[in-house]
Order: sequence, then structure tokens, then C-alpha cells
Amino acid sequence: MISFWKLRQSPNFRFAILTMPGALFLLTFFVLPLITILIYSFWRTESYQLIADWNIENYKTILTQKTYLTFIWRSLVMAVSVSLACLVYAYPVAYLVAKHGGRYRLILVLLTAAPFFTGIILRVTAIQQILGPIGLLNMALQTFGFEPIQILMYSNVASAIGLIYLWIPFMVLAIYLSLLNFNFELLEVAYVNGAKPWRAFVEITWPLNWIGTAIGIVLVFIPTFAAFITPRFLGGVNGALYGNILEHQFGATGTWALGSAMGVVLFLICLIFIIIIWRTINLQRSGYTGEEL
Amino acid sequence: MTEPALKLEQVEKTFDKVRAVDKVSLEVDKGEFFSLLGPSGSGKTTLLRIIAGLETAGDGNVHIGGHDVTRLPPYARGIGMVFQDFLLFPHKIVSENITFPLKMQGLPPSKQEEQLNWVLSLVHMEGYEDRYPHQLSGGQKQRVALARGLVSRPDILLLDEPLANLDLELRKEMEVEMRRFQAELEIPFIYVTHNQEEALTLSTRMAVMNYGKFEQVGAKLDLYNNPNTRFVASFLGSPNHIHGQIKRVEDNIANLDWKGFDLRIPAPAHANSGDDVDYYLKHERIQIQSSQESGSVKGENRLEGTLRDIIFKGQYSDYFVVLKNGQELVVSAATEIPSLKIGHPVEMYWPPEAGDAYLTEEKVK
Repeated sequence: MISFWKLRQSPNFRFAILTMPGALFLLTFFVLPLITILIYSFWRTESYQLIADWNIENYKTILTQKTYLTFIWRSLVMAVSVSLACLVYAYPVAYLVAKHGGRYRLILVLLTAAPFFTGIILRVTAIQQILGPIGLLNMALQTFGFEPIQILMYSNVASAIGLIYLWIPFMVLAIYLSLLNFNFELLEVAYVNGAKPWRAFVEITWPLNWIGTAIGIVLVFIPTFAAFITPRFLGGVNGALYGNILEHQFGATGTWALGSAMGVVLFLICLIFIIIIWRTINLQRSGYTGEEL
Repeated sequence: MTEPALKLEQVEKTFDKVRAVDKVSLEVDKGEFFSLLGPSGSGKTTLLRIIAGLETAGDGNVHIGGHDVTRLPPYARGIGMVFQDFLLFPHKIVSENITFPLKMQGLPPSKQEEQLNWVLSLVHMEGYEDRYPHQLSGGQKQRVALARGLVSRPDILLLDEPLANLDLELRKEMEVEMRRFQAELEIPFIYVTHNQEEALTLSTRMAVMNYGKFEQVGAKLDLYNNPNTRFVASFLGSPNHIHGQIKRVEDNIANLDWKGFDLRIPAPAHANSGDDVDYYLKHERIQIQSSQESGSVKGENRLEGTLRDIIFKGQYSDYFVVLKNGQELVVSAATEIPSLKIGHPVEMYWPPEAGDAYLTEEKVK
């Protein structure tokens, strides 16, 4: 008879006990829906009804019709631009707070997330109130006899501004957390050894904080690629992204099967992106000092 | 052509109204091993950082190799530096760590390789080129840090307590190595430490720093044997501290009343009877013998006491003697003197000039 005490000591048992709740949750709310969507994607819809008629027509449609490819391309460009913009904006902020924030640094970082307190709809609407045709900016311009700035009204640029605003806190937080563990003295070593500040950044700061930065990029890239609320409010009719037409399949048109296939494609693109980012990470080149790899 | 390798003129630095470095001037020549010795908070590290350009001097000038570098950033000063916790770049392998200064100078790779091989053999680290810092022992890290500091043959090498994180055995080994590097390369070393043994072992000249000022600068033996200030006398050699009152002064010799004992000491300048005096007496300047052998040697001060303990230090031992007035003196003498036994009476003697006497400063000062 195996005593319960002995069982409790076993690392496998402990591991199982500790991971069970999370595993169950993910199984129920992530893996099962994903499998469902995967199955649906090989079915077809007729008059708002799913029909279990196995085929790959949905994927053919997405990958051959120019419309869908265009939307994938648009979302990809959007996700890359927004990630880069967030990166360029967030790095100095995180750096400044981590290095000079002193005892206020936690508060300062949390403040970057302050807009989150209001909810996404309110935030996006607020931007609309500023950038839109009857928004603050263009009304003001018109009042003083200027032309309104077309590019800021219901366009991809407006969407991008909204998305950057939305996801910057994630990027700041990811880089900030990485910089917290960064030994800034290494920069002094670099300076003394002849490195100018930008060179020290490239040689020391950037590689040693690449993991955190990569996490920030992934955290911004994926929700931007899948975004649909922000482009709907700020992008207008011509600013629709992949997420908008995906959502459309589950709403107005009721083509669940095609929508599911689009979801699978979205999932795969994000997966490929994560793999690409993951391949750039060399633990030892990021200053990992743990056990031998 | 005889410009000193390093020249400091009236260098000053104030943090929040505290003078960390207070009008310090210094010249260090090529080929010198110069130590900055002082307790923590004495400003020695700040001074080193000012030389490196990591702090800006509030006032005064820094010249390195004949050039005024006071306004130059650290990367334009042509210096090498070794830090207390080594601070190797964790994401770079040994060879990349060492060639970093050369890479920053834009040296061609073949030249870098050449310099790398030279410095690796100098510090005996051949074969470790491809290791990451975390795969090295403390001593090996120190060698790599030194190699990085020396690889570009800088005008001057700054060392900030480089041995503080090593165990004793390694420290002794690295002390020998550092003297060898310094002698072979003739690069002046500016060595900051709070460890007087290290400073006395390594340097040719040294400065003792306290409260941001140089107490005394000179050859190490000179500082040890002829301290100019009370701080240097009390600090170097960790001497016995004898505090008493002067009874009378006569021909540069004063009679000191030390808790009932009458000692003859060199009279401090301007000393009068009744003045409080601190008398610092190094352990090894006192002769000790068992009371039974009394009379064989004659010194001017002679005290009797009881041997409380003997602490074996290797080539010498510390003898702790309790005196009749309740005070204790430490005497360093040869190990294994058979006639000295714990609990037995002993006698000690030393000439007045063996110690250094200073007027006890007024409390308000």
C-alpha cells in the first residue's frame, strides 16, 4: 500500500496538484473552444446554420480572395507599426522611471495604466471626441479658418493612435520590469571602457533587456492584430481591419464556419509571430546565469 | 616630457552640503603603484570616480597623461578601471568582455585578437576565451576584469577595491599578480582600498584619506613609520591607544600619567602639563619577556602585567597583556617564546619614540 504521505512527497504529485486548477481552467476555456473553432472551420454555414460537411473551402476563400489577404496585410502592418511606436515611446519612459523614479517608481508605472481605469469604450470614444470630424482638434482648426486634418478622421492613422494609446502601458510595464533587474553600473563600465552612451545602450542595455522587450512587443502585437473595437470607432468604414471582418462573420453575415477559419488563421499568424520572437532569444546572450543549458 | 601620468589640482566634490572630496591635489608618475587608503565614507571612491569621469568635480582640475580631462566624459579619457564586484558583461563571453575597449576604439579585429592573446597570457587565462562570466570562479572573474582594464594599455588603471570580494588565499595570490602586471606594464595603478594591509603590501606610494582630505601622502614606509597626523598614527598598524594627561615636559620628552602609570613619550608640539594626550604605540614596537628574565634588557618605559592570551598569527603572535591599572596592551612578537605562558607575569618595555603622541583635540572642534 502506498502511503498518502509518501505520495505527497513525490515531486510529480506536487506538480500535478499545483498545476491542476490552472490546467483545468485553460482546458475548459481555451483548449475546448479552440478545438470547437478548429472543427467549425472545416464545416460550412448555410442560412445561419452550421452544417457538418467537412471541407477546406473556408481556408481557400481566405487565402485566395484578395479581400481577405488585404485585411490580413492591413492588420499585419498595423500590428507591426503599433508595436514599434509603442516600443519607441515606452523605452525612454520605462528607463527613466526605473533609473530615476526612486521610491515613486511603482506609482509612476501604475500611472501609465491610469487610462485603463475608464474602460476601453470610454477611452476610444474620448479619442474620437478629439480626432473626429466634429472633434476638438478639427473644430478648432475650422474655427480659425483652417482645413480639417483629413488623415485623423476615420482612418487607419486614427486607429493606430488609439491602439498605441491603448497598449503602451503593457510595453512600459514589460520593459520596466526587465530594467528593474538590470544593473545600471554595467553602463558605467561601458563608458569607462570607451563606449559613448548610444553605443553602451546597443551593446549592454538592449541585449540584457531583450527578453522583457520581446514580451512587451508580443503583448502589443497580438491584441493589435486582433483588434476590432478600436478600428471600428476610430477607423470608420475605410479603416476596417481583419478583426472587424472576422467579427462580422459571427454577427451580421452569420457565416460561423468562415469566421472560425479566420480565427484559426489569426491564431496561427500570432503563433508564428511568437515563434519568430522566441527564436531571437538566446538566454545566455540575455545575461541568463542559471544552470547550464 | 616629464608630465605626471595623473595630476589633480584642488579637486572638490560636494554632495548635499557634505564635502566628499575637499580640495585634493596629487601627482602620480608613470610606473607608480599608488594607493588611496581610508575608512569607508572618507571620499576615496568618490575621488576615483572623479578621475574616471563618472562623477564631475565640483571644482578643480584633473589631468591624465598631460591632458586636462576635467570636462571630458569617461569614454574620452583613455583609462582602464577595475571594479569591486568585477562587473563583467554577463551576456558576453570572456574574449568579448576583454576586447570591449578595443572594439569601442574601432581597432581592426586582427589587432584586437593580437591584444587579446597578449593580455590573456599576461593574466594566465588562456583557454577560457569562450566562457561566460557566470562559468568562472571569483579569481578568474578578477583576472578577466583586470585583463579588460589593461588590454588597451591605458594611460592609467583605476582599481576600486578589486580584492574586497575574494577570499584571503586568492587575495594574496592576486596581490602578487597585480604587482607583477604593474611592474611589467609600467602603467600607473591608482588603487582604492580600506584594507591597510593591501595598501602597504601593494603600493609604492600611498595617501591616507579621511573626511575628503588627504591626511598624508608619501612612501608607504614613511607613512607607517612617521605619521604626520593623529589620524594616520591611529589608523595605520591598528596601534595600542593610550590616553592620559601630561605631568611635565622636558627636552621634547613628556611624562604622561596613564591611569596611574608614568610613561615617557615624545612631547607633542605646544604641549603643556595637564593637557590630554593620545599616544599610539604599534604592537611590534613593544618588547615582551617573562618577568623571571627581568633585567636583561633596558628600555625607557617598563610595565608589568599578566599575559591573558596569545593569538597565533603565523609568523608572529599577538600577546594580550593585562596591566595592574586594568588596561590592556597588545604586543606582537615572535611565535613560540617558551617562557611566555598564559596567566604568568610578563614585562614590557619600549623607548618613548616608539610611539606617536598627539594632543587630544577639543571636543567642540
